[in-house]
Amino acid sequence: MKKRIGFKTLGCRLNQFETDALASKFVGLGYEVVENSKDTDVFIVNTCTVTNQSDQKSRYVVNNALNHGHTGMLVITGCMANNHKEQLEKRYPNAYVVDNQQKSTIPQLVEAHYNKEILPSNQNVGGVFDYAPAAETFHTRSMIKIQDGCDNYCTFCIIPKVRGRAVSRPVEDILENIRQVVGFGYKEVVITGVNISRYNYNGIGFSALLKQIVDIKLDFRVRISSIEPDSFDEEFFELLKHPKITPHLHLCLQSASESVLLQMRRMYTYKLYKRIVERLREIDPRFNITTDIIVGFPGETEADFQKSLDAVEELSFGHVHTFKYSKREDTRAARMSNVVPEQDKTLRSEELRQAANDSKINYRQQFIGEQLHVLVDTVKDGYSKGYGEYYVPVKINQSLERNRLYTVKITGIEAQGEEHNLIGVVQN
Amino acid sequence: MGKGVPAANKIKTDLHEILDIRHLTDSTFVLRIEKKDLEFEAGQHVCVGPPNGIHTREYSIYSAEQDEYIEILVKEVENGLVSPSLKKLQKGGYVVVEEPVGYFTINKDLPQTQKYVFIASGTGVSPFHSFVLSGKAENYTLLHGVKYASEAYESEAYDKDKYVLCTSQEDKGTFNGRVTDYLKANHFGADAHYYLCGNCNMIHDVYDILEEQGVSTDNIHAEVYF
Ligand SMILES: Cc1cc2nc3c(=O)[nH]c(=O)nc-3n(C[C@H](O)[C@H](O)[C@H](O)COP(=O)(O)OP(=O)(O)OC[C@H]3O[C@@H](n4cnc5c(N)ncnc54)[C@H](O)[C@@H]3O)c2cc1C
Repeated sequence: MKKRIGFKTLGCRLNQFETDALASKFVGLGYEVVENSKDTDVFIVNTCTVTNQSDQKSRYVVNNALNHGHTGMLVITGCMANNHKEQLEKRYPNAYVVDNQQKSTIPQLVEAHYNKEILPSNQNVGGVFDYAPAAETFHTRSMIKIQDGCDNYCTFCIIPKVRGRAVSRPVEDILENIRQVVGFGYKEVVITGVNISRYNYNGIGFSALLKQIVDIKLDFRVRISSIEPDSFDEEFFELLKHPKITPHLHLCLQSASESVLLQMRRMYTYKLYKRIVERLREIDPRFNITTDIIVGFPGETEADFQKSLDAVEELSFGHVHTFKYSKREDTRAARMSNVVPEQDKTLRSEELRQAANDSKINYRQQFIGEQLHVLVDTVKDGYSKGYGEYYVPVKINQSLERNRLYTVKITGIEAQGEEHNLIGVVQN
Repeated sequence: MGKGVPAANKIKTDLHEILDIRHLTDSTFVLRIEKKDLEFEAGQHVCVGPPNGIHTREYSIYSAEQDEYIEILVKEVENGLVSPSLKKLQKGGYVVVEEPVGYFTINKDLPQTQKYVFIASGTGVSPFHSFVLSGKAENYTLLHGVKYASEAYESEAYDKDKYVLCTSQEDKGTFNGRVTDYLKANHFGADAHYYLCGNCNMIHDVYDILEEQGVSTDNIHAEVYF
């Protein structure tokens, strides 16, 4: 009988990419892959540690699996595994705790476990890019990892400590990876990494890489995921006009207060950020800019917070991920004194969430009456869902084919809890 | 796949011997340590800590790229954790050093004649010392903001006419007042590249002043210490 392997992924796109790549590898090895721990022989939790909440969520997932009777092999990997390896090994003595550098060797570890030749995970030779391309598993978009690590040292961030120094993947590997996944039938590739704008492989920077990607003579679209607004060049803005590149960037802002940005050691000013947004909207007035904002960073005054709140309206974000600042030990911000009281953080975060929600609805409404090219990723109960080129979810009340692009006319917007899907009808 | 792929990108740390310590004021000193195989670009920093602890802090490299040692300029912060313990170390002892990192460097594509204005507060002068000694910038003016003239830290390294010591608490510098006051009264033009290093408040104010003077943020580079 096929062994069943379950995955749970927390955190960033890079983690998703790595899960997808691992899952494809397991499919290739003859495992059945599912997205939870139920009745699985192996359960792999790909954790995140970016905030305290992510630590808690990651622990919750592990505990929940154990409480629901998971008795099979348990693998904990991802950034929390890097950051709290010893604690995790103590708390879950039967789990394999595998750090990011070894993550790609999990299939070997699992095989070794079942061959009863259990290897201590830290003796496997792996590598941060040592993943086979992700084939058909959970997503219709294929994540392409181009870079790992970060050298920016933002004062709130633990990532450089857990992901390590910036390292870029060879250009030819990336191009080959894209050719392969497009060959598998993927219509969209998502460029991922911890800090992709700092990509540099033997003098080839991010824009030069992107140029080579769009020049691949195959039919696919490119989504640039999370990017730092600190090293854009003219070539990049030019490339964004290319028909293969989708008009969406997740451009991390964190705060719109210049003094908070400095305290965070971000490498840009709000003025520069605003100029970038203006340039993007010159390329396409509906360019979707989504972002992360931290509220309650040490020293953030009401006036600083108000600036972030104003920015949400001023910049018409398509989506804002609001984080309440949470202290990460061993970061510079953890040693800062003007801590914002928890209840103020909660109030600010609520206020920002509300503003972000309004902004999201406003942003989405402009598509009513327009046509979008929707890549369908979910088909169930008589409806289909997918994302248009602007990375806005669209629901179509009809069963369509998964992983196919449809031209959809947007007819309305439908609230579903916090989510506001566009509703549309197929044109072709 | 995986050809030429680095096996891991873990941060490399190593123990480096302390070759010399120069005390410049009661609280500030230069720590000279073995270079080993560390290569860096002027303006980058290293994380340094005492050999027996787990804590390190960032310090800009003070010495030149071509020197056979690495130097850092450290001010002991009262009630701080790492800087007071670094001050207690002795020649012949060791420190933990992580490999150099950072983007506060001179753009190699700019011409040799490029005009630079370096603006520092306190030990924020350290990367500029490295720029100048490494021959990264010839056409520069260095504005150094301190409280007292005794904090001019080895200013003989700079051309006399290129170094402006701004002393805020006594009238012994080139200029009596804050660097920001000096900058308001002296414009260096929109074509210069401005490098700001030190405490956050100074950097914040300088951004505002430069903006008023019509300098584009593309020409402003900042390294925040605290
Ligand atoms: C990129 C970078 C480069 C740096 N380069 C240098 C350098 O070349 N020389 C140097 O002396 N320091 C430098 N620093 C500051 C240094 O990393 C430490 O923060 C400093 O030595 C205090 O560490 P500590 O453990 O003693 O104090 P901590 O226990 O970490 O902090 C105590 C408090 O002192 C404040 N503080 C930090 N630095 C100073 C300072 N210089 N003066 C007054 N208050 C301060 C902090 O805000 C904190 O609240 C740099 C920081 C960064 C981010």
